Amino acid sequence: MEEMILKLKQEIIEVLNLEDIKPEDIDNDAPLFGEGLGLDSIDALELIVLMEKNYGIKLQDPAKGKEIFKSINVMADYIQKNRTR
Amino acid sequence: MSMEKESVNILSAKQISIQAPLSEEWMDNPLNYSEDYVRAVDPDFKQFISAGDARRMGKLLKRALATSLSALQEGGIDNPDAIITGTGFGSIENTELFLDALVREGEQLLKPTQFMQSTHNTASSLIGIHTRCHGYNSTYSQKGFSFDSALYDAWMQFRIGRIKSALVGSHDEMSPVFSGFVRKAGHVKEGEICSEAAVSVLLAESGNAYCTLDGVRLLDTPSSDTLKEVLADMTDGGIDAVMTGKSGNSENDSWYGFLDTLLQGVPQLRYKPLFGVNFSSSATGFYAAACCLRKGSVPAVLSESGKGVECSKGILVVNVVEGRHYSFSLLKPVCGK
Repeated sequence: MEEMILKLKQEIIEVLNLEDIKPEDIDNDAPLFGEGLGLDSIDALELIVLMEKNYGIKLQDPAKGKEIFKSINVMADYIQKNRTR
Repeated sequence: MSMEKESVNILSAKQISIQAPLSEEWMDNPLNYSEDYVRAVDPDFKQFISAGDARRMGKLLKRALATSLSALQEGGIDNPDAIITGTGFGSIENTELFLDALVREGEQLLKPTQFMQSTHNTASSLIGIHTRCHGYNSTYSQKGFSFDSALYDAWMQFRIGRIKSALVGSHDEMSPVFSGFVRKAGHVKEGEICSEAAVSVLLAESGNAYCTLDGVRLLDTPSSDTLKEVLADMTDGGIDAVMTGKSGNSENDSWYGFLDTLLQGVPQLRYKPLFGVNFSSSATGFYAAACCLRKGSVPAVLSESGKGVECSKGILVVNVVEGRHYSFSLLKPVCGK
């Protein structure tokens, strides 16, 4: 799981172009949206694309993203359980 | 609407190009290139844009914003009445990424940020949002005539009294792939440097100015009589020099042949060997002319004869695209300067 979390953080940094942020700067339990990383609705769309492209997870209901993208730990757990690739 | 003729002043002009960025260093120490494809020299964007804001911006947007904010700051105007932008192809690098993904992965997995940046008017709207200027905002995309069209729009709006200030810019980037297409299509020719440029110019009826904008004319396939008439009209007060788009390529330079007879004896200047050729080239010529008038002289590096020229009457900037589309902008020194 540790390895998967690190990979996920690297992917998020790359896809969201978070130039000045390193994986260790992202708290595994901190909220990704609002406080914490301060992501917004366009980032949510980028994360939905990331999950489908890299893990084969097709999020049918975008509203579910609110729960899945709560933190790195929650997102990694969801990916672990639902990935098809 | 008032038809009274107020003067239109150029309060500031800023560039990011293949010369030192946001600086007039090129006038004394120009950067010289032997390559035929050169990308712009970027400044440190962090002084203008936060990391959070910058992460959704490609190079073109960062350059457009940096030149705009720099021009507004120097000109002392926070909220211009209009933001008018030219661009030949907009954020082409992001457009390429978006199209590549479309070809590779179909329509299902396209990135929203790349999509947002693939439209030509993104730069102008970004400047409007960032500066909270919610007035007139327009983008002209006419290949190498984009800046000229944007400037003409601003000029007309000043003339009919609709605006008192305008930020006019032109911004184009050139990816490696796109530079190949542009050469094949003949937009950049043999002997010319294929380059990038972002230029922002702040115009206003009042304020401390580099120089004044005395007239703008656009002509499409004019007859020689029309050219003669327009040049006679625009230069009747005399000019110090004419800023041409000559590049060293014989086909391109032949389009400016009319100046040899109609403006006989007037020193000719060339900005393309310094700034290269791209769809915002004419903006670099306009910028260079404004800088010369501000300084009171043309550096030898711009002059076709290799000799510097003193400026006391004005510079006519001439752009000819594809031998058919002509633009003329007359810049004059500020009275009493």
